[in-house]
Amino acid sequence: MENFDAIVVGAGPAGCAAAYTMAKAGLNVLVLERGKYAGAKNTWGGALFGSAMNEVFPEFWKEAPVERSVSRHAISFLTKDACLSVDYKDSHSDGSSTPGFIILRAKFDQWMAGKVEKAGAIIAAGLEVDDFIREGKAIRGVKVGGEEFPANVVILADGVNSLLAVKAGLRGEFKAKDLKQGVKEVLRLPREVIEDRFNLRGTDGAVMEFVGHCTLGLPGGGFIYTNLDSLSVGVVVQLSALLEKRVKASELLEEFKAHPAVQSLIRGGELLEYSAHLIPVSGISMMPKLFADGIMITGDAAAMVLGTGLILEGANFAVAAGVAAGNAAIRAREKNDYSSAALQSYEQALKDTFVLKDLNTFREAPHFLENERIYNAYPQWACDLMSRIFCSNGKPRKNTFQVVRESMKGRFNIMQLFSDFMRARRAM
Amino acid sequence: MEIIVCIKPVLDPDMPPAKFSVDSKTNRVIPPEGMPLVINPYDALAVEAALKIKEAKGGKITAVTLAGSFATEILRKAVAMGADEAININDPAFEDSDTFSTAFILAEVVKKIGKYDLVLCGRQAADWDNGVVGSVIAEYLNIPSVIRAKGIVVTNGKLRVERVVANGFEIYEMGLPAVVTLSSEMGQARIPTGWGIINAVKKKIPVWTCSDLGLDPVRVGKTAARNSLVKLYTFSPSRSCEMITGKDDKEAAGKLAEKIMDIKP
Ligand SMILES: Cc1cc2nc3c(=O)[nH]c(=O)nc-3n(C[C@H](O)[C@H](O)[C@H](O)COP(=O)(O)OP(=O)(O)OC[C@H]3O[C@@H](n4cnc5c(N)ncnc54)[C@H](O)[C@@H]3O)c2cc1C
Ligand SMILES: Cc1cc2nc3c(=O)[nH]c(=O)nc-3n(C[C@H](O)[C@H](O)[C@H](O)COP(=O)(O)OP(=O)(O)OC[C@H]3O[C@@H](n4cnc5c(N)ncnc54)[C@H](O)[C@@H]3O)c2cc1C
Repeated sequence: MENFDAIVVGAGPAGCAAAYTMAKAGLNVLVLERGKYAGAKNTWGGALFGSAMNEVFPEFWKEAPVERSVSRHAISFLTKDACLSVDYKDSHSDGSSTPGFIILRAKFDQWMAGKVEKAGAIIAAGLEVDDFIREGKAIRGVKVGGEEFPANVVILADGVNSLLAVKAGLRGEFKAKDLKQGVKEVLRLPREVIEDRFNLRGTDGAVMEFVGHCTLGLPGGGFIYTNLDSLSVGVVVQLSALLEKRVKASELLEEFKAHPAVQSLIRGGELLEYSAHLIPVSGISMMPKLFADGIMITGDAAAMVLGTGLILEGANFAVAAGVAAGNAAIRAREKNDYSSAALQSYEQALKDTFVLKDLNTFREAPHFLENERIYNAYPQWACDLMSRIFCSNGKPRKNTFQVVRESMKGRFNIMQLFSDFMRARRAM
Repeated sequence: MEIIVCIKPVLDPDMPPAKFSVDSKTNRVIPPEGMPLVINPYDALAVEAALKIKEAKGGKITAVTLAGSFATEILRKAVAMGADEAININDPAFEDSDTFSTAFILAEVVKKIGKYDLVLCGRQAADWDNGVVGSVIAEYLNIPSVIRAKGIVVTNGKLRVERVVANGFEIYEMGLPAVVTLSSEMGQARIPTGWGIINAVKKKIPVWTCSDLGLDPVRVGKTAARNSLVKLYTFSPSRSCEMITGKDDKEAAGKLAEKIMDIKP
């Protein structure tokens, strides 16, 4: 039976980056993907930010199926009826920075998988890995429904629900408090309508995040991403809060879609697909052991997601970590040593890149973001303040500072505000 | 037994209906983005039937596909299941071939392969449900054919086929070579094994072009088509809702009954 240099489980961003890195270095690589094809069941918001993908596939946007490049980024606070937005536009025309790219996973993952195959790896789809081949404590390959696939090293890139990570003893199951649930719809709208409504030119795109009423005050938010001729519309909500309050994320999505500020953007959209997926959001504090004899773990399976409230970045981390795991496997092969000691270079490489640096910088963010005032009291206060400032009711106007003070009355006290501010400073 | 199986890529039946759309100006189906085509389910049964015969009698299975894109992926599915060889029949000249020119080209492919005992097809392609190609291949090759088979047994160089009819099945016996098309009553196609899939990914799949087959381009593609599609459109039923009221349920029900009786078929 053929023995592979490396087997990668999962053909998402992390798995493809790892496999591509190794295949290019001449390793004999097998990627096992449970979907009918790469990307078949994968979902996200989603926009890809950061440089990791560009380092693996230089100028990928020229060739890969990207929907639009992000030129507009808006954050809005919602109450039941009102919406207060910060709207940032950047045309990236001077070329000094690469914009983010809005991407639909089904298409993009197939493209990545194609690149991986061209580099010489084998991608076998429709196969769900369910166990390992073991030799003592070491892992020496994987099993799919009783069939065995031996390899010197296994890289787990099987996403947030990785049962294999648990089986390999790298971690326990993720807990509800450390997960958010995302649900999303793709709504078809004509290109021109999208460009008109979102004030976009050509293939420019908008990323819009919403906080507040869209999750009925539960920790999380709503989002709209403009694809070329469809919109991705969804909500992302703390799983433990959903379970506690006995609400379904799908109900919150309906609530979000019905909000006047959202309705006017998505009106007339025809439902193309619906998907749901979990996101590991507690960062460093939930991260598993990253390697053991003959195995490494990367991407969502290892909780490498950065959520600061303002950004949710997983793919960029998954790709950078996948590359690091791939490089560790290459070094292990040079020394013909796949022991835990040899694979330690993987974790070291992550410490040297933004992956562990950023997750460390923002390690307080997950805890800070559990504060329900962010989703409730503050959006309401901000919208109420605006309404007071803009209101013209025939009475003499008060000075603005006084309006601010009055608007805060009964909502929260100065001490709370100050403590939240300090926590925000530390977390962000 | 040398068996040739003809397989056609079709839209994924699991595809959400909202993703299906047609261009009524060009009378074409717009390929849904990001959704790879799949092996026609009846053709997977034809591969399964071929594998069963091979398991019993030995031999070789060659899968052939005539299609632009996705041909190699679809052929790999057949190899993953256990087909020995695969040939991708591909040439710009073949574009817009209709049922008849497709059957003509496939018959020429069979002739070029040369050695064959059996040609297997699906009963129909699950996209257009025409169900013509198999019989027409048999006509061109001038050999017997049976359509809608649910089982095939080869004994002493003879073929015994169970053919599905409205109220049961008929049994046919014939000599070889022959064409048989397979129906869903045949059962289920096997799921490829992991190593089967890996083997298929590694398989080199040759491409045969119009000139490889020595065909005059006038006899294939659009120029040779005998069918013409007049109009392609999606059916959108119009609905209207009328609330029927009455002073009580009985009166409302009576009005409803009248309405129903008024509807002209
Ligand atoms: C609603 C939502 C919105 C998001 N928005 C963004 C965004 O805008 N930007 C961003 O950067 N990130 C976003 N993310 C996060 C991002 O999607 C993930 O961080 C990223 O996809 C992680 O990549 P991965 O390769 O680790 O895992 P995945 O993309 O989950 O890939 C795992 C792969 O492994 C396969 N697999 C699983 N188990 C097995 C098995 N046993 N055998 C074989 N194969 C298996 C799966 O089919 C899948 O293909 C979002 C996530 C969600 C849910
Ligand atoms: C470049 C190119 C593009 C094409 N694009 C399309 C397209 O968009 N849509 C489309 O429907 N067809 C397409 N075809 C294929 C061709 O036009 C059809 O196969 C042909 O019209 C017969 O289809 P049918 O539905 O009438 O088959 P049926 O008579 O219903 O098929 C019965 C059986 O015949 C066999 N068979 C049928 N067609 C083929 C084939 N092409 N290759 C191998 N075995 C076959 C299968 O076993 C099938 O189960 C394309 C062909 C080429 C070369």
